[in-house]
Amino acid sequence: MEFTLLWAALVAAIAFYGVVRWEARRGNAADCSRDVWDTGIAAALAGLVAGRLAAMILAGTNPLTRPGDILVVRGGVDTVWASIGALAAFAVLARRELARLADAAAAAALAGLAGWHAGCLFRDACLGTPSDLPWAYALPGSDITRHPVELYAAALFVIAAFAALVARRRFPPPGVLGGVALAAAAAVRLATEPLRPALGTSLPAWYAAGVLAGLAAAAIAFKFRALISDKLQEPDYGT
Amino acid sequence: MRALLAASKQPVVVNVWGSWCAPCRSEAPLLRAAHADAGDDVRFVGVAVRDSQGPAREFIDEYGLGGFEHYFDRPSRVPADLGGRGVPITFFFAAGGELVETHNGIIDERTLALQIDELLAR
Repeated sequence: MEFTLLWAALVAAIAFYGVVRWEARRGNAADCSRDVWDTGIAAALAGLVAGRLAAMILAGTNPLTRPGDILVVRGGVDTVWASIGALAAFAVLARRELARLADAAAAAALAGLAGWHAGCLFRDACLGTPSDLPWAYALPGSDITRHPVELYAAALFVIAAFAALVARRRFPPPGVLGGVALAAAAAVRLATEPLRPALGTSLPAWYAAGVLAGLAAAAIAFKFRALISDKLQEPDYGT
Repeated sequence: MRALLAASKQPVVVNVWGSWCAPCRSEAPLLRAAHADAGDDVRFVGVAVRDSQGPAREFIDEYGLGGFEHYFDRPSRVPADLGGRGVPITFFFAAGGELVETHNGIIDERTLALQIDELLAR
């Protein structure tokens, strides 16, 4: 059994939690009845299950006849369906506080993705397509130097997370930052995907759709900012 | 198996599997995709271990792995001879039989694509 994925997940969770705590200490907490950490982790787990089920079904394995295989996470998680599942779970859990909670989770989620990609160092899985750039390096025993593509992605996610932290201090209309963060996350994956070795994947089209969906969400939030802000005047504390 | 590897003019990917092995079911579609992608340049060989012929054949049919060469190795001598332990396990050999990489456990798409790229770049 290989547990290196768990280390990468742990780095991601620590990065997510660290940014949530950092924001709270700056007095920039979500101001929602739902906790950003709880919602984020629940959404991530829901995404993991959705992605694993999708990977099994797309590979021709029936999860109903082989339920034990669902636990073989190392066997593959479909990135697209995991993302859709996580976003859907986040929306369901946040309900009417979606805009505010998405804004609060934006920087933390981007930092978590940075941690996830940097976790490649635990898995010896940072390398992509061949490259002669000075910082390219080779697999052990090989003389073919390659792009450390997962570290590129991690660096871009760190920049995006930092930008989100700065943007949040400027109090953008509710929901705009969340939408832009979604677009940024998809854009980072879209930009780095050509540097990843793959077996005939259609992921770039999905990432492009993610960029458009994020920008559309941000545009809608901006267009209806007055309406959304009115609805957020009275946070739902569940009482 | 050693003779097959030594005689091969193409790189060879040897995947050790069993129809009873859940992780093997997870990686089988990846191997099918890799074979479709690089099967002209890389030889794919499956070795079914600790298995029975009937379930092994059903596994090959179910996951569309009929394009590979498959060998039936009930006592699991081949992986032991090649220096691997456990199931699944994937060996990557350069043309002529030089072992380039041994991947123990389930292989993911990136690793499989990367190792095949390494074999083809040699």
